[in-house]
Amino acid sequence: MTDALAITGLSKTFGGKFAVDNLSLRVRAGELYALLGPNGAGKTTTLRMVAGLLKPNSGEIAVFGHDALKDPAAAKQVIAWAPDEPMLYDRLTPMEYLEFVAGLWGVPATAALPRAEELLKWLGLWDNRGERCEGFSRGMKQKTALAGALIHDPKLLILDEPLTGLDAAVARQVKDLLQARVKGGATVILTTHILEVAERMADRIGIINNGRLVAEGTLDELRTRTGEGNATLEDLFLELTGAEDAAPESVRR
Amino acid sequence: MIAPAGSTLWLLRHELRLSWRGIMTRRGRGRGRFRALWLTALLPVILFFTAGLPLAFALKRVQIPVAPISIAIAAAVGVALFTLMLSQTLSAAVDALYERADLDLLFSSPMKPRSVLAVRFLAVAVNVFALFGIVTTAILLPIAVMGHPGWLAVEGVLFAIALAATGVGLLIAGGLFRLIGPRRTRTLGQVLAAITGAAFFLVGQGYNILGRHQSASAWTSLVQLANAPRFRLPPGVDWLLRAMLGEPGPLIAVLVAGAGVFLIANQLLGARFAADAASAAGIGTGGGKARRVGRARFAADAFGATLSKELRLIARDPALISQVLLRVLYILPLGFVALRNAGTAQTLALPGSAAALSLIAGQIVGSLAWITISAEDAPDLLSCAPTPMRTLRRAKIAAAILPVAVLLAPVLLPMIVMAPLAGLAATAGCAASAGMTAALNVWWQRPGKRSEFRRQRQASWGVTLAEFGLGLIIAVATGLLAFGGFGWALIPAALALVGVLLLSRSDAQIARALRAAT
Repeated sequence: MTDALAITGLSKTFGGKFAVDNLSLRVRAGELYALLGPNGAGKTTTLRMVAGLLKPNSGEIAVFGHDALKDPAAAKQVIAWAPDEPMLYDRLTPMEYLEFVAGLWGVPATAALPRAEELLKWLGLWDNRGERCEGFSRGMKQKTALAGALIHDPKLLILDEPLTGLDAAVARQVKDLLQARVKGGATVILTTHILEVAERMADRIGIINNGRLVAEGTLDELRTRTGEGNATLEDLFLELTGAEDAAPESVRR
Repeated sequence: MIAPAGSTLWLLRHELRLSWRGIMTRRGRGRGRFRALWLTALLPVILFFTAGLPLAFALKRVQIPVAPISIAIAAAVGVALFTLMLSQTLSAAVDALYERADLDLLFSSPMKPRSVLAVRFLAVAVNVFALFGIVTTAILLPIAVMGHPGWLAVEGVLFAIALAATGVGLLIAGGLFRLIGPRRTRTLGQVLAAITGAAFFLVGQGYNILGRHQSASAWTSLVQLANAPRFRLPPGVDWLLRAMLGEPGPLIAVLVAGAGVFLIANQLLGARFAADAASAAGIGTGGGKARRVGRARFAADAFGATLSKELRLIARDPALISQVLLRVLYILPLGFVALRNAGTAQTLALPGSAAALSLIAGQIVGSLAWITISAEDAPDLLSCAPTPMRTLRRAKIAAAILPVAVLLAPVLLPMIVMAPLAGLAATAGCAASAGMTAALNVWWQRPGKRSEFRRQRQASWGVTLAEFGLGLIIAVATGLLAFGGFGWALIPAALALVGVLLLSRSDAQIARALRAAT
């Protein structure tokens, strides 16, 4: 079976410094993959390269068999990218936003209209479909952006910190949505700093540090690898990334 | 003197520093800012030598009499200045409450909210005064040195007018907050500022609109009216002129009056504004403007979807609309002159109007193209879409040109019917000018925020200058063509073409520049 995403030897430098350093990873079709790492580890840079927003210095990216660097349009056609800051137009309504995004991905009007209605109803935005996004709360904006990401029914959904700043109810809604997408056959890749979410939802987890993949596998595989049978993902993460520094005395007081 | 932290003076210094940095940000970055700073510093020097000194020599032995006509002129200048300043302070008052995100921080500090607001509004008055003060000082200084030291009192009068305008601006903004809410007040403030500027332009164009004979007879009537024995000015009106001429009593009275209006406005509105500011700060979470839910219109392709999105965003941008309206209002007198002369077959005014129309068309398209191309709110969304960037650009250019075509059609179409050569030349000139500015905006994109439209346009001054220069050359070609000088028109047309070719960039160059910019 073709991998949803195959990254091989990917590198990206900024000002001579490696943000992503010879990274290779595989995400299987139909799984929910959590890419974890400390701040500045290279997660977002990696995903931006997959989404076609950054050009790598070297390496290969294949999305469902399409070479994302040589044939970006084919790869983009099946990807949806949802960054932590929603890509919205404040002066458009959610329905108008979906009209635009559907046009960008070439979704026929006959298919786009019922899908937009379905998404807006599912995400609880139907009653707000005629209001401009400028007055929306963070959660409503995030949900509008998610609706945009899903309007073309992507096979690979990439989300960068999708739960940042969301209240518990909206966060639950987003998590349910992601699990429903995976059940429906789509592939989801997400980054998150909320390790419990990755622990509970992800089929497989990749941990990245200093631009390199330091560990990958299911939670049990990671436990086996570190030799800690009952460890939480947080314990494993801190051990694998070497981030267990105690706070200084002045801060603890 | 160092003001203690937390004092009113300290806060005023903070406000003025922020204003100064805001001005500097508008001037661009790096070398661009340095050049702009030099140009800004040079402006008073240029004014000193080109306007101040000649005026100083001309007025050396002139004494301005306190006569009805001079009193009336001084009063008219005062009213004009007050209106101009009011349009700025109204907009600035709304910005101070709505745009700046630091009110929550200031209100959560131990400083009194009323002191915070009073200082903020004083900073508005000082900024407005500074704008006019720099220009007038450069002109007044040589005049004062060469025999009229008292005329420096004009600066005092200007400050008094700035204070009064700020006070009245506050009162109007406060009333509008109550009546129509903070969001609409902001929009109205921007539109009013644009309309006031345009109104001054239209008044300045009175000569063109009325024609030579009517203008001359209107002025004669005005002088006769002012000199008529029965004509009586209301008491106290002469104080403004006397204050400008440096008489201490009237000058103090004008200063006290200006300060009084400012203080009364602060006193009346201090507490209420604190509440208004809090409500304005919460605008972002207050629920969007509800619109009538119409039928969804999904476009057949990316071009249609992008064109539709850009036109919607342009139509919903009050700041942009007010700027465009301002330029459209400039077209009115030109259109008036063009059509009047097309009807009477006057030869010189018609080519001139055709040339000016092409220049203005290019300028408006330039503004809209910057918004549609450079001020993209979600560039990543477009980059990760499978649609070719060229398709999106074409849609964005179409969105910039379409509104201008609609605005110019009512002038160009009758022109073509009444004076075919001039009308066709004007149409060709407008098309060339619009195409040129759109192309420049594609080649020399400079990503920026839509909300910072004015600042960003000023910051990309190189492109703005090129647009204007090439627009002028195309305007000359248009004028010559409308005049019937086809051969002569080819020279500026060829020059403009060479200029456009020299400034062109390949897709790869554009992509490289964009990567460097972001």
